[in-house]
Amino acid sequence: MGLRLGSIAGALLLWWLLSLAMPANLLPGPVVATVTLFKDFAQGDVLPHLAITLLRVTGGLALAMLIGVPVGILMGINQRAEKVLDIWVMVGLTVPSLCYAIICFILIGLNELATIVAIGLTAAPSIAINLWEGVKTIDFKLVQMARIFEVGRTKILLRVLLPQVMPYVMASIRMGLGIVWKIAVLVELIGRPNGVGFKLFYWYQLADMAQVLAWTLLFTLVMLAIELGILKQLEHRLFGWRPRVGL
Amino acid sequence: MTGQVKRAAPAISVSRLQKRFGDLPVLIDLDVSIADKEFVCILGPSGSGKSTLLNIIAGLETADGGKVTLGDKRVGYLFQEPRLLPWLTAERNVDFALQGCAVPVARRAELKDHYFALVGLAEFRNYYPHQLSGGMRQRVALVRSLCVEPGILLMDEPFGGLDELTARRLRVDLLRIWRESRKTIVFVTHNAYEACYLADRVLVMAHGRIRDEIIVNVPRPRDYDDTAVFDVNRDVVRRFLAAAELQPERPGQVPGIVPDPVLQSSGGMP
Repeated sequence: MGLRLGSIAGALLLWWLLSLAMPANLLPGPVVATVTLFKDFAQGDVLPHLAITLLRVTGGLALAMLIGVPVGILMGINQRAEKVLDIWVMVGLTVPSLCYAIICFILIGLNELATIVAIGLTAAPSIAINLWEGVKTIDFKLVQMARIFEVGRTKILLRVLLPQVMPYVMASIRMGLGIVWKIAVLVELIGRPNGVGFKLFYWYQLADMAQVLAWTLLFTLVMLAIELGILKQLEHRLFGWRPRVGL
Repeated sequence: MTGQVKRAAPAISVSRLQKRFGDLPVLIDLDVSIADKEFVCILGPSGSGKSTLLNIIAGLETADGGKVTLGDKRVGYLFQEPRLLPWLTAERNVDFALQGCAVPVARRAELKDHYFALVGLAEFRNYYPHQLSGGMRQRVALVRSLCVEPGILLMDEPFGGLDELTARRLRVDLLRIWRESRKTIVFVTHNAYEACYLADRVLVMAHGRIRDEIIVNVPRPRDYDDTAVFDVNRDVVRRFLAAAELQPERPGQVPGIVPDPVLQSSGGMP
């Protein structure tokens, strides 16, 4: 914990020193960015945009999981499915998120559905790959053991297979979230009249660096809060049985 | 030579069992009969088909031909590895096995108390597998296989992965447990001394068949270092080597080069 705080303090110090070396309008320091953020909050400008972005992130992540998890599991357990699908997962991974966004906006329209579909499609391949690898590590000897003790199929699925896949589902949620955040702002930038991405683009056009940094800071803080406050805790609760590995 | 007729109905009766993996015959017309409450060790080199035989008796694999009849449908199985669920404590692992079995719920707590105490793990019931040593994990697996109250206990080199000292302790424990609970045990191993110490009868297996049979006439309870066990061991090893050197039979063999499972694995045993 001490090391982590030290590393954050170091980064802030570096930012502050850089800001001193550069013109104030080009790189404002951490204090200016924070004050700007608070002012925006006070004006009631932040929450509506943050809320709509969070909504898109959640929707996009849900869709990405809905596609990626079954595809990944299917590829992990069925060789034919693997042969048919792996090329498409690779293709899906290669296509830039901007392409998904543009295609969705043209085909579906400039609306929330297109936004969520674009986000979901971009993140799904990474999630599928994660699960695909995860399913391959399943220890089927444990299934054999359960069968010896005449444990039913449903119970084997829930109590032997699912716990083995869960760490990978959890890891793909975390990874997916990281990807989805980044795509969400990009999609908002090109096709939405609101959201964090829209605001960033707006301040970029006005060349207001203090605002750009304030919104980037907001974004980062919210992201960290979700990661450390929710996902880490959840992981700790779910996988407390695992040995702690010291490296 | 095999399937010697014993009193009453046998606990396990195997007749003309056939199994092949692709072109490779693993079990060839195998006959064996195991009496109720008998402790039988199947001794054979790697690749002799002994694990396959055990898996077919347990219903984990299907045979290509022949018949297996079990006197008691309740079968316990101890694998070479503990195969515990790592996310459950020792006791929850036993509960996991108990949920599918016919043991009355009222008896379960008592059984767990009894067997955990018997293997010396009463204090470790709430430990996760990764917090236990290899020998302790295998003991938990033993408790698990005993708590379901099987009439027949199948064991596939259960102490093969452990250090000699731990393995030795567990062998002594196993005999004590067997004496108290009187189950039919089929114990697969490639360790001749282990077989002689444990068994009433040692079956020597090679190339998919039972090649020899040795009755171990050492009175019980046995001492691990009893010279009588050493004497039987000498005899068993001699006959074991003779059986392993027999040429494999290949009924209906197609001309061509077929890999020999014994030659391939004769370099070392796991």
